[in-house]
Amino acid sequence: MAQVNDTIQAVSALKKLSLEELMNIEVTSVSMRPEKLTEVASAVQVISGEEMRRSGVTRLPEALRLASNVQVAQANSHDWAITARGFNGLPSAGGILANKLLVMIDGRSVYNPLFGGVYWDVQNAMLSNIDHIEVVSGPGGTLWGANAVNGVINIISKSARETQGVFASATGGSLLQDQVEVRYGFRLDSTIFCRVYGQRFDQKNTTMASGKSALDAWNMTQGGFRMDYYPSKKSTLSLQGDLYSGVENSLAKVNNTNGQNAVAHFTHLFSNESDIHVKVYFDRTWRTTPNSAKPFFYELNTYDIDVQHRFPIGSRQSILWGGAYRLQQDKTAGSFIPKNRDMPLLSCFVQDEITLAPERLKMTIGSKFFNNVFSGFEVQPSARLALTPNKKHTIWSSVSRAVRIPSRFDSDITVTPVKFRSEKVIAYELGYRTRPVDQLLLSFSTFYNKYNDLRSLDSTSNTQFPIILANSQAAESWGLEFSATFQVNGAWRLRGGYTHFEKHIYPVSTKVLPVSVAFEGVDSKNQFMLQSILDLPGTIQLDLVSRYIDALPAIAANIPGVPAYFTFDIRLARQLNPFEISLVGQNLLEDEHAETGSSKIPRSFYGKLTWQF
Amino acid sequence: MAILKKITGSFHMALLLVCSTVFLSAQTSVTREYQVKAAFIFNFTQFVEWPENSFSGNQSPLIIGVLGQNPFGSFLEETVLGEKMNGHPLIVKYYNNVEEVKSCHILFVNLPETNKEEEVNAALKGRSILTVSDAPGFMQAGGMIRFFTKNNKIQFQINLEATKYANLVISSKLLRLAEIFTSGKK
Repeated sequence: MAQVNDTIQAVSALKKLSLEELMNIEVTSVSMRPEKLTEVASAVQVISGEEMRRSGVTRLPEALRLASNVQVAQANSHDWAITARGFNGLPSAGGILANKLLVMIDGRSVYNPLFGGVYWDVQNAMLSNIDHIEVVSGPGGTLWGANAVNGVINIISKSARETQGVFASATGGSLLQDQVEVRYGFRLDSTIFCRVYGQRFDQKNTTMASGKSALDAWNMTQGGFRMDYYPSKKSTLSLQGDLYSGVENSLAKVNNTNGQNAVAHFTHLFSNESDIHVKVYFDRTWRTTPNSAKPFFYELNTYDIDVQHRFPIGSRQSILWGGAYRLQQDKTAGSFIPKNRDMPLLSCFVQDEITLAPERLKMTIGSKFFNNVFSGFEVQPSARLALTPNKKHTIWSSVSRAVRIPSRFDSDITVTPVKFRSEKVIAYELGYRTRPVDQLLLSFSTFYNKYNDLRSLDSTSNTQFPIILANSQAAESWGLEFSATFQVNGAWRLRGGYTHFEKHIYPVSTKVLPVSVAFEGVDSKNQFMLQSILDLPGTIQLDLVSRYIDALPAIAANIPGVPAYFTFDIRLARQLNPFEISLVGQNLLEDEHAETGSSKIPRSFYGKLTWQF
Repeated sequence: MAILKKITGSFHMALLLVCSTVFLSAQTSVTREYQVKAAFIFNFTQFVEWPENSFSGNQSPLIIGVLGQNPFGSFLEETVLGEKMNGHPLIVKYYNNVEEVKSCHILFVNLPETNKEEEVNAALKGRSILTVSDAPGFMQAGGMIRFFTKNNKIQFQINLEATKYANLVISSKLLRLAEIFTSGKK
């Protein structure tokens, strides 16, 4: 939705921006609607393409660290555990148990119904194609869909119009062994813009606690296209697609992955207040472990159609409503019953944005209703209130309900008389955003979440199924998120944030096994991030990202914790048009450190040459 | 008959295509760059002080002129629509040559021929008109503000001598963000 109204809203949005903000807009960007961050009634943080580029990150999951309201922990060379507002799973599970964050790339959900999470290893968008990433912590179920329990991540690509010409880069380094990126953008006529791209990288091994190599080197080859067609001033049609194929080592095993997707978006503006957006996509993802003792195989095909329509009622109400149908079909090997399953999902939503006092007080109420094969009919309502006493301050508050529907893992591994139900949260949020001076944007948000029917491992008296997955846990969590952006002057920008998080998970049945708490999540209480983007004379750029992540506490003798760590990355670059040379050092403070899982992430360096004209 | 129908059909299609292409190129020609520049120009009205006598009255308009080719489409007009500076409504006027420029407060210079800027600035010398352009030699030619692009972002230079001479007071906020041009440099 963020891109929907860019043309029409451009006038009013642009002129409201301060000079500093204007100076920070990439003028090659057409799709990005300038965010009025002071007025958004949710805990959203935005990572711009430029901030990503200047941070020196090479993989998409790493880029998410630039939002301080999301917890990113690298498990090994190719896996990450990522969540917002906690519940990142058991550290030794390497991210596979984190299941409460919805992730979408250009509207295509990459949340996986197999175990309820994201296969981060196959999300390898070429970073220079990304316009911005919106990271919303807190439920987003009313608008976005199921499983947006703790947050939503929207990754939004640049249009083909913004990536005209040739872009090529070559990277060589110590952990990222090599990476090549090529992109060519061209126009067919004055209204049709296209791009094609390809990338290939080889990433080296991390190390295990014992000091031995984790033997987890991997590579990925990916290519794709995008076409943007502007048939009239009020309509936009975009078509895009990607193909990828990769090979990953995990000790003695080799995983093969590949996937294809195609997405079409059509937007038509009837007026400033009314528009329609249609999205259709297909996505296939496939992986196998051919030479292991227990061959694993997984294929998922997703077909999705989604329509949203916005229109006003009188001058004070704006209705957004829509419907979607998604069919997911998978094929698995191993213990899933049934082995192949069709998972249709039918949903609709309606949301009303009511202006209670013009330019002062706005209320947004709405709900999503959907039906799924695992838990049947579900409702996700929310109510938000935003008070803007003047242009410099926004106070907002919300109450919302969201559900995580059962995954195949929850529902189809142990067939028991007790059906696995959806997990539910009621979230209460309160936030404050302010722009005391034009150069400074501050944002605070606090939350209290109450969870019910959380997943647990329960013992049973049935000898055939001594342990089952059940819904016998509940939890409370609360925390504070603070973020700031400070444009010191035309050449120096600082952004950063701090998040504090607490939770208490408890059993609601005597059969719950103690490990269940850790299964849901072992989370750090404090995390801190600071990014500095500095232009020096002579087209030199000196950039820094530092971060502190508090310890993951040990839960029991057999579930050790992960120590707290502080580290930083430095990027030094020089523009020599049409070239850019950059040198990046990552995780510089220590030789290596653990984040989650069994691997340690080493200090690493790379050099990159970029050519753009 | 069928063949005739087919031919007229494709002819209509082609005609439609040509018409819509012409129509569309007119509609979509305002690039993001000039949308942002329009927003900058609007912002300048809020950070520059013009002498009292440059306005005929308290309610008289603040005129933003575009000299030469108009790169903004209707975007500049849409941007300033309904906006005021100290009670002076903002309006946009278009000029083909510098002689047409009568009452004007900000003038965006976008001449097709190069090296014309010097003549323009000479013709306007001493009048309280903030001259703005993105032409490369604009500052050397005595212009006051020049946009330039750095890392895909729009930045600007200000020539303080020239603005002083025109009795324009530039707010320190604008100066802080600008690159200051002195005739010795660049």
